[in-house]
Amino acid sequence: MNSPVFFTARELAERGRDQIPAELISNTHLIYSSPATLAFNSPGAEGFGVKRAGLAVPGSVMLIVSPGCCGRNTSMISDMPQYHDRFFYLTMDETDVVTGRHLKKIPGAVKEIVEHLDGLGKKPEVVMICITCVDALLGTDMERVCRRAQEEVDLPVLPCYMYALTREGRKPPMVHVRQSIYSLLEPAKKKGNVVDLLGFFAPLYDTSELYTLLQSIGIRRIHEISRCKDLAEYRLMAEANFALVLGPEARAAAEDFDRKLKIPSIELTRFYDIDRIRSQYRALGQVLGVTFEDEAYYQEASSSIETLKQNGPLRFSIGECLNADSFELALALCKMGFAVDEIFGTLTEENFRYLKQLAQISPDTKVYSNLHPTMIYYQEEALPEGETLVALGKDAGYYHPGTVCVPWNSDTQPYGYDGVKRLMEAIKKEVTK
Amino acid sequence: MKGLRKYLTPFAPDQSGATSVLYAMGGILVIIDAGGCVGNICGFDEPRWQGAKSAIFSAGLRDMDAILGRDELLVKKLVMAAEQIDAKFIALIGTPVPAVIGTDYHALTRMAERKLKMKILPIDTNGMDLYDKGASKAYFELVKAFAGQKTEHKSHSVGILGCDPLDMSDAQAEEKLKAHYLSQGYEQCFIYGSADTLDWIENAGQVEQNIVVSPAGLEAARYLKRKFDTPYAVEDPLGMAFAETVDAEAGQKILVVDQQVTAGSIRKALEAKGAKVTCASWFMMDPELKAEGDIRLREEDDFTELAESGGFDIIIGDPVQERMAGSFQGRFLPKNQFSLSGKQN
Repeated sequence: MNSPVFFTARELAERGRDQIPAELISNTHLIYSSPATLAFNSPGAEGFGVKRAGLAVPGSVMLIVSPGCCGRNTSMISDMPQYHDRFFYLTMDETDVVTGRHLKKIPGAVKEIVEHLDGLGKKPEVVMICITCVDALLGTDMERVCRRAQEEVDLPVLPCYMYALTREGRKPPMVHVRQSIYSLLEPAKKKGNVVDLLGFFAPLYDTSELYTLLQSIGIRRIHEISRCKDLAEYRLMAEANFALVLGPEARAAAEDFDRKLKIPSIELTRFYDIDRIRSQYRALGQVLGVTFEDEAYYQEASSSIETLKQNGPLRFSIGECLNADSFELALALCKMGFAVDEIFGTLTEENFRYLKQLAQISPDTKVYSNLHPTMIYYQEEALPEGETLVALGKDAGYYHPGTVCVPWNSDTQPYGYDGVKRLMEAIKKEVTK
Repeated sequence: MKGLRKYLTPFAPDQSGATSVLYAMGGILVIIDAGGCVGNICGFDEPRWQGAKSAIFSAGLRDMDAILGRDELLVKKLVMAAEQIDAKFIALIGTPVPAVIGTDYHALTRMAERKLKMKILPIDTNGMDLYDKGASKAYFELVKAFAGQKTEHKSHSVGILGCDPLDMSDAQAEEKLKAHYLSQGYEQCFIYGSADTLDWIENAGQVEQNIVVSPAGLEAARYLKRKFDTPYAVEDPLGMAFAETVDAEAGQKILVVDQQVTAGSIRKALEAKGAKVTCASWFMMDPELKAEGDIRLREEDDFTELAESGGFDIIIGDPVQERMAGSFQGRFLPKNQFSLSGKQN
């Protein structure tokens, strides 16, 4: 009988980070397209792909310049009220591909869109131009085309690259789009009590202790692009004294902040292990020369873990379509005393450190790649009597259709002790339904 | 401006049409893309995908694969997948990336066939043409590759071509068509492309009559006519059934916007009520099926101009077009067209 390929945490740890099996490396095989795969394999498919991310700039609209197929699924996003009249398309045909004539049409198309929206009383403040794999191969200089379009409409026009071809390259689309959306910022006089949070396209939950802790050390304004009401507020991000980078895909944007705006940054990691969270706040405090009083938050998160444990033994299946690093989350849950049966994830050199520790405390945890062709044969295994399996992540839920699923993939981002507390409460809510 | 869309999102592309035809036929479908095209196909254009597993794969092309034209690597991946997955054939479905780098599908097919004892169907779609062209290519490649030798026609059997989700916009289309033709006295009704029906295609020469329910099925029907002398008719009973529900009066002017066969069938039924009907389509308009005055729409402005100046009392079409109707004062009767809006009836 055919079965899906997996490796145990022990096997992977023994092989080491330089010997990750080919079955777990996507460019060595065809990529299986299950619903589990879709959310992250296609840069424009679901969640905050390049298209939605590009529109994080307040008052922006997007012109997608591409073959029709690349813009097709944008219908789903366009149906969301906040994106009405914000997506436009300039579809390419074969002659465009051969001659590149579509590039000459872009300034006129931008002008027509701006006039059209002006007529509706919705004049945009910024136009993003999204181009795709075809222009990557044609070597299009989109910066130049944008400058030409900008002259037509007297509005900022920015490029946005949805190059699926470069997903594993030096600058993948989701890294580049983070640079694009901050590129309108101009150097400004710094204010000591202003901080920028970089990394996400939606805000953290209001209840995250990160806000309160920053306020406790005298920070008065905390900027996130998703909370900026208009372009004027967005521009105030340039006044920040420093930036906190909350996701590794914002590193390149942070480098731009440092170089262009003279705003230094500190990278923080999203953890679900409360001891790591505490250590990270201590380290951040040392860098800033302050002490964060986080004990109460630590105790609250710890207490939420204990409350969940009272629901009896829980086993977890962890996917990667969720607001966490699958391997860090698996390790954190094991340290809390739960069992992790399996991870559907992408093992990288970066998250291998969690895998190594996981192998020590849960060596039999199975690691699958969502992308491997044999995942078409994945079958659920029967659970021991009286035990509950919780699928964390939309993809894990796909593999376990009959079980408790906590998608944990909201646009609004969980972070810190508050994230742990929210996760424990979300799991408890589902298992006690 | 040509190609500029202010109201409509792009229509279903050719690679989605090809996949739609082959989806349930037990093959390994390889979309030769970097990942995004598969996302569009599965996540939007293929309504069956959420409910049933299908062996759809992305070639997972990366920039260096495209620049260096690494066909050998792709063939290696195909061989590995064929060893791991039970399948009856492999279809290679094109996208913009192979179109730009000039992939030779036939060479790729020969390379793969040398290593695999399995039929390979090359479908040279490019992501720039529309779904019906891709669907037409897939139907044609299917019957060319699998339809067997000429045999005696089985009496009272009918084969349906062109019934795919993108063309029919109705989740129950297969059941409804089958029920319709069985009620017409046929003993067997074979809907090519419905679940696991490769053997039906192999026996296509035995069918007494083919019915084409969308332009995508025409080329395959003509091929089967040439090869087996199987006659074909062009009609969409679901379109005719819809027309029965339309409250139209004699002398009213009606514009129907749908795929050509459905629009033509609606026209036939409405003309029987005395209405004057014009058909328009954003997709292929076969000259043999076209009546005088029928219109092929290409740009948003074409629709606006037609709606404003045609003097129509009623427009029947997907409601996403209503915003473009400009000063049209008549009644807009919604009928979803999946290939436009991604919504079924």
